[in-house]
Amino acid sequence: MKWSAFLPLFLLPAAFAATKDKDAVREQLIDLAAKGNGLIKLDSKTFDLLTLPSRDWSASIQFTALDRRRRCAPCKEFDPSWNAVAKAWSTAPKEHRDTHFFGTLDFDEGQTVFQKLGLASAPLVYVYPAAEGPRQLPNGKTAPSKYDFSNGFEAEPLANHLSSHTPIPIPYRAPIDWARWATFISGILSLVLTLRFISPILQSRWTWAAITVLTSLTMTGGFMFTRIRGTPYTGPDGSWIAGGYQNQYGQEVQVVALIYGTLSFAFLMLTVIVPYQSSASRQRMQVYLWSAVIMLIYSVLVTIFRLKNRGYPFKLLL
Amino acid sequence: MSTAYPLPTNLSTTTVTNTASLLRIVALGLISAAAIASRLFAVINFESIIHEFDPWFNYRATRVLASQGFYEFWNWFDPTAWYPLGRVVGGTVYPGLMATSGVIYNFLHAFHLPVDIRNICVLLAPGFSALTAWATYMFTKEMKDESAGLLAAAFIGIVPGYISRSVAGSYDNEAIAIFLLMFTFYCWIKALKTGSALFGTLAAVFYFYMVAAWGGYAFITNMIPVHALTLMLMGRFSSRLYVAYCSWYAIGTLSSMQVPFVGFQPVRTSEHMGALGVFGLLQIVAFAQLARSHLSSKQFQNLLTVSVVAMGVVGTFGFIALTYMGWIAPWTGRFYSLWDTGYAKKYIPIIASVSEHQPTAWPSFFMDLQLLIFLFPAGVILCFRELRDEHVFVIIYSVVASYFAGVMVRLMLTLTPVVCVSSAVAFSSLIDTYLDPTQPEGEEESEADSSNGTNTAATPSKKEKAKKPAASTSALNDIVTAATSQSSSKSKSKGIWGLDTRLIVIVNAIGMLSFFVFHCTWVTANAYSSPSVVLASTNPDGSQHIIDDFREAYYWLRQNTPQDAVVMSWWDYGYQIAGMADRPTLVDNNTWNNSKSHIATVGKAMSSSEEVAYPILRKHDVDYVLVIFGGLLGYSGDDINKFLWMVRIAQGVWPDEIQEPNYFTPQGEYRVDDRASSAMKNSLMYKMSYYRFAELFGGNNAMDRVRQQTMPKVGPTLDYLDEAFTSENWIVRIYQVRKEDLLGRDLKSANAFAQGKKKKKSKPVSRRKAIPV
Repeated sequence: MKWSAFLPLFLLPAAFAATKDKDAVREQLIDLAAKGNGLIKLDSKTFDLLTLPSRDWSASIQFTALDRRRRCAPCKEFDPSWNAVAKAWSTAPKEHRDTHFFGTLDFDEGQTVFQKLGLASAPLVYVYPAAEGPRQLPNGKTAPSKYDFSNGFEAEPLANHLSSHTPIPIPYRAPIDWARWATFISGILSLVLTLRFISPILQSRWTWAAITVLTSLTMTGGFMFTRIRGTPYTGPDGSWIAGGYQNQYGQEVQVVALIYGTLSFAFLMLTVIVPYQSSASRQRMQVYLWSAVIMLIYSVLVTIFRLKNRGYPFKLLL
Repeated sequence: MSTAYPLPTNLSTTTVTNTASLLRIVALGLISAAAIASRLFAVINFESIIHEFDPWFNYRATRVLASQGFYEFWNWFDPTAWYPLGRVVGGTVYPGLMATSGVIYNFLHAFHLPVDIRNICVLLAPGFSALTAWATYMFTKEMKDESAGLLAAAFIGIVPGYISRSVAGSYDNEAIAIFLLMFTFYCWIKALKTGSALFGTLAAVFYFYMVAAWGGYAFITNMIPVHALTLMLMGRFSSRLYVAYCSWYAIGTLSSMQVPFVGFQPVRTSEHMGALGVFGLLQIVAFAQLARSHLSSKQFQNLLTVSVVAMGVVGTFGFIALTYMGWIAPWTGRFYSLWDTGYAKKYIPIIASVSEHQPTAWPSFFMDLQLLIFLFPAGVILCFRELRDEHVFVIIYSVVASYFAGVMVRLMLTLTPVVCVSSAVAFSSLIDTYLDPTQPEGEEESEADSSNGTNTAATPSKKEKAKKPAASTSALNDIVTAATSQSSSKSKSKGIWGLDTRLIVIVNAIGMLSFFVFHCTWVTANAYSSPSVVLASTNPDGSQHIIDDFREAYYWLRQNTPQDAVVMSWWDYGYQIAGMADRPTLVDNNTWNNSKSHIATVGKAMSSSEEVAYPILRKHDVDYVLVIFGGLLGYSGDDINKFLWMVRIAQGVWPDEIQEPNYFTPQGEYRVDDRASSAMKNSLMYKMSYYRFAELFGGNNAMDRVRQQTMPKVGPTLDYLDEAFTSENWIVRIYQVRKEDLLGRDLKSANAFAQGKKKKKSKPVSRRKAIPV
């Protein structure tokens, strides 16, 4: 390989050799980047090249662990976004493209780097600013800065963030989600085509009633909370109910919505169905049945609520 | 005739009606009394004091209005807020609340009742809750009947979901807004039912009042058009709808534009475009109806339909084009964050940082609404059974509001009224069915039952249904008949046999209602009546201990600092400092649009090191810095817990200098003890919070009771600030910013010199090495 030839040169301590090397290294990196579709697959040696102390380029480096043995699910989730952004950068004009590089260092390729930097988790993105030359930061900072994943693993915020470190903004454009559009359009088409057959369903008030009630049941069960906070379906120990008043798991939405629904249904039965019974004994039986259901389920509900809110002083049958 | 229990026969119909109406008035009076009384826990447990944060500004503005008159208030420029920018209060405020209090104040004083303005402000919310109960009664009466109305009034009177925003002292816009919301909706329903322009105008007038009172008016602005549009889609266009909507929209929009803070928004922003679009659509549809009634040609009618559709499409595209060209502002961030729930966290962290903008977990729903939350779907189903125009309104309202309440805790307030209405419909239907004394076998009609004065109106329709005897006996048939009873109600007898069946259901219902009362009382007393300016704790012997650190500190500022001393704190406390300490503040709770960088400046000062923060403080003339620290007492709402938001907001403006991950340990934990990250330990906020904290424990391990972490023995030192005041329980700590050193040294070395430390010199490294012998 080409770079092994100049590596001894680079290792020379003499300063003049380093400046000379710098250009060689950059050529090297440009080559590597071109080969890897804008992304340099790093190992511990190329990592040192990329983060040369006298670099006049900047670099963003992804530290990851994609090997299956490492069991890094977030790494796998983030990798496509990273590649997409790196690829977008490779379409930038050449004079800008060659002053910023994208690299990926896998844990299995460069354990020493991970140790040297004291990295204990992955994925991570470090941005190394240029240490010399015209692109050096005004405050002279050469230490890398870390990308904050609080905006998620999507490519869009990543590209936005990295654009502030590149000479020109990264020409990243979110790919058009064809599958989504296709589903959307085919959904509309099939709706239009079957409109004649399903219009009795659409015009029935009970369809709408079911939609309305199901919506309000899921919403009052705290569905939006689990969506926004991204809470898991069950707890790590398999428990379905989260401790604490301002917290809940996905399964609680179902349980609570089911309880509310049952209670509502019992009330409706008592109000709407039972009075139309034609035999007195059957009616009596149903009245007792639904009253018992209400009492029992309501007690269960209060008990569950007491689990969530420990200070709640009331309880029913249970 | 067979009745389940004996009825008095010697009563005339007039007596029954009169008694019923008397009972209704008495019941409404009692409900109002209960609504007011249950909101007074805060006054009884603490004192007559303004609560929380925003109410302090409203109170301050009301005082200006009451003492200087409306015109002065209208032109009021407050130089002490957002120092040094100041704030044009008259143009950036919804004046409805203050105007209401001002009117009440002047009214009482005209009668020589010298009531203090503070007491009017404190008691305004409970007073208006009684009016809300009445408005809800009127609204529900239109849905079902008076008995459901009374139940709904009782529900909304005591339900915690509404009390949470309207206890005595919670002097905020919502205090009057819910009454206005319900009354506007009532007027709209009434206008729609009767086709009366008078009620449409009334709706518009109350809509105007609502616009003047609360930013949540956009809810009405969109609810009524959605209702009108749905009715049109259902093919229920009528001249009643046309009259009601047009009178509401025309007058309501014109009058709402008179509020300076709203201005031209109704014609310029997307939030209001729905209403305008439906207004246009109504004109087209009305024209088509008119033309159709005068035309006969089939072809021409087809042409008409096509042209109507084309006009609608053109109009829609017109809106879109105008939005793109910038004539119509797109959805504002606050509104947009309701739909795209990740939006706020990404782009407007100030909004996301407010605790009342968090999503709602189910226990909050149950806590705030208790049994109403599961009666509510039953009521919606009953609305579907009848499906008159006004029921469509309740149905739409229920879907929209339950979504909004799920996204934001504070919007629970808009869900509460519809839950009360809908569950009152369900509950009163149940009670009607089981109190009705008629038994199904009876051939003749019984007299109007007078045992319960409130359900007289519901009975006649039922008796008509009870005419024909049972025909089929299959249970399935029963269900089918019941479900379709609306269309074929006369085919089947309806009613309950026996007394025991009635008793069990009624006793059950009464039990549930009384449980509801106990629940509401408990929640109100324990969760929603704390002023949060004054905290309460319990002594070991069970007596109450009042923690009054906030007022102690604010009064210290008031008494011991010059009038123009600028105080910097996180924005939560801006209104309180202005209201209680009467000092200029850098930022306050009015987070209007261009304030973002100002708040971020404070965030940056708080989260950077002393050396970086000091020039910022000096540039903004800051004399005192105030932090809230709960570590000693275990008060979890303190600034260290809010610190990450300060970091995030600062990061939004200075991404190079402030980075959130730096404030976590490498393991990603948020720590304040030995293992805290260096950015955390050097931040001004950390230093001010824990300055001399360890000394308090006299050599023992200092413990932060909020974070449950042991603090290092040697606490942080401060070079650029002096501790000025720390309140009794250390909740409020105030620091004075030092002036520049007179000798021109930087304060750090001046400080070191004063402490007798030698200036550190770079020690020359010894060339010779000790040779081990």
